Amino acid sequence: MKKVRIAQLTCGAEYSGVQKEIYDAAESVGAEVFFPDIALGDVERAVKKFGLDVKSADLKLMIARAMALVEGKVEADGVFIGTCFRCAEAAIVRNELRRYIPENSKLSVVSYSFTERTTAGTLLTRMEALTTIARRRALLAREEQTGITMGVDSGSSTTKAVVMKDNEIVGTGWHPTTEVLKSAESAVSDALEMAGLTREDIQAIGTTGYGRFLIGKHLGAELIQEELTVNSKGAVYLAGHQRGASTVIDIGGMDNKAISVIDGIPGTFTMGGICAGASGRFLEMTAKRLGIDITELGPLAMKGMGKNVPMNSYCIVFGTQSLVNALAAGSSPEDVAAAACHSVAEQVFEQQLQEVDIKEPVIMVGGTSLIEGLVYAMGQLLQTEVVVPPHSQYIGAVGAALLASGFIKGE
Amino acid sequence: MAKVFIYPATSLILSDLVARFGHKPLGAALGIRERIQTAGVDSPPLQITPEEPKRGLKYAAVEVPSGVRGRMAIYGPLIEEAEAAIIVTEADFAFGCMGCARTDELILFTLRQSGIPILELEYPRDEDEGIRFVAAVKKFLAGLEDGGEA
Amino acid sequence: MAEYTPDYVGTVTKYVFVESPTMTPGELALRAYEASEGVLIKETCFGLQVTGEPESVDRLLEEIRSFDPTHIFVKDRGFPPGDPRRCRANLGGARPGYLGHEREFRLLRYITRGLEELGRREGDEAEPAPPETKPKLDIKRLQELIDSEES
Repeated sequence: MKKVRIAQLTCGAEYSGVQKEIYDAAESVGAEVFFPDIALGDVERAVKKFGLDVKSADLKLMIARAMALVEGKVEADGVFIGTCFRCAEAAIVRNELRRYIPENSKLSVVSYSFTERTTAGTLLTRMEALTTIARRRALLAREEQTGITMGVDSGSSTTKAVVMKDNEIVGTGWHPTTEVLKSAESAVSDALEMAGLTREDIQAIGTTGYGRFLIGKHLGAELIQEELTVNSKGAVYLAGHQRGASTVIDIGGMDNKAISVIDGIPGTFTMGGICAGASGRFLEMTAKRLGIDITELGPLAMKGMGKNVPMNSYCIVFGTQSLVNALAAGSSPEDVAAAACHSVAEQVFEQQLQEVDIKEPVIMVGGTSLIEGLVYAMGQLLQTEVVVPPHSQYIGAVGAALLASGFIKGE
Repeated sequence: MAKVFIYPATSLILSDLVARFGHKPLGAALGIRERIQTAGVDSPPLQITPEEPKRGLKYAAVEVPSGVRGRMAIYGPLIEEAEAAIIVTEADFAFGCMGCARTDELILFTLRQSGIPILELEYPRDEDEGIRFVAAVKKFLAGLEDGGEA
Repeated sequence: MAEYTPDYVGTVTKYVFVESPTMTPGELALRAYEASEGVLIKETCFGLQVTGEPESVDRLLEEIRSFDPTHIFVKDRGFPPGDPRRCRANLGGARPGYLGHEREFRLLRYITRGLEELGRREGDEAEPAPPETKPKLDIKRLQELIDSEES
């Protein structure tokens, strides 16, 4: 298969010792990175035209290479933008380029700030999404599910399965992820039982999420695909907004995704989640502390006022401590629940949503989208009404089932 | 023969003039050559492994970006070895090893702190400046031979 | 983690740039080959790359410089010639250092002029003045301007 060509626009990768990790991540998904060829004159012209007077020469080089891509002087299938973590000058350039490129071309962009600890594994899902978008544009254009298909989303917290038939969801299954294969089997059985179908009835299977490779192999899946493209597809499908621009937010158990989607295909996206304080896990812990089920947290938060509780840390450990202290000092459980939701939303807002352009509608998906207090807090921060489509917790499984129908024989 | 750190460390002009007038230029190529010719863990293209930014902690704190620390792992030892330095201050189009402005600032500061004789210049913009540029470099380097301050 | 085994251990590689109205990189290469004595020579668009034992490279460079002293310039290189890690064919584009060379290559004619002039004045007492660093605005003049504005 022809390799997908990803243009690399970075500053500091070679000197952070992570260039090999970038090469390895690209290679493992059948892609190759390359550096757009330009001359000194192009750099001088590009910097002037772009109008961002940075001092670092390698950032000027990034700007010039980006311009060569946008102007079509150099061809690429996708773009990887990376700079050193904690460099303000580079962060400005990275931000502006990841906005400039998709606005002025059809290229998909992934941006990342690395440290010397960044590994190929961390970059893998991002690179995979870039190659999927380049390689499977026709597949991603699918707007309707046909035949009988199944999608399985093996997430870090929960495993979801969905059976679809003739563009309808006819069965769902949901299990906490304990042993990856076992949890998947349970979710699949439940979904099939609800649909009143057997394994033999299924014409094609798609898998996504952390355990996608393992489960995909086990189930003999036709489609094994990372969650960035699958969730985007699932979100716009369920929200009935397949055409035009939208923003998909998925606060997961372990990491968060913010995806700027155009016609069902990710334009720019970020994945974050170094800190568990910005994840569904934090809300689970809060619920546990309050002695309630996670499903009760959302409604409880809606009755409270987050501002009444002092939260001065995003850390899952210290954040929880703040909530415990607040309870001890007499804060109501409602206020504490609201504060926890606000804390997670604010962190995602500050750390990730700044990296993608927010275009309405904003669609929240994943299990955490059922926590209405969290959705409310996000809406407040974004000053917009957040859309939570039906079956939003099954987003990955629905996206996988939808795309899998492209693999039904005779299709 | 004195060991003269050149800035930009990738400068053809400075590397040439220092060697031409009988001294040893210390530039980026020496640091890269050392890595390229040393066996170890494969880390293309420059054989700078993730260990290098950690070594760079000697020159810059942990909150300094990894690219700065990785670069300082190359330049720090060269600066320590240097007996003099020639600095051309506008390195605005020196890419790659010199492509990070924050590292460049730290290199200049470290050089100025080190107490070695330093000549600071700007790139020539015409022939007259070219004459003065070469003359200044030559005079500075000749001063090093005498063992005196330039 | 893959092991790395280096090639060309103990050698040095240097770039030779020629910016001359009378000598092309091709001619430079021809003459350099004649004097090479086992030093590896690779012709490039701007001149040469030479690789070998440090002493042999120094000897050859001394000879090469003598072809046209004020138009030939030499610089260290970290990589051996044709290394796939730096090769444009593999990277898709020029390595960053190439653009830096482009920048300084434009200025070489001024350096040539300086070298020629200094060669001419060899032994001459009257040395050219070092580069001036004029302040943008003299402090006295600034005071005058302020006074004139206020009056």
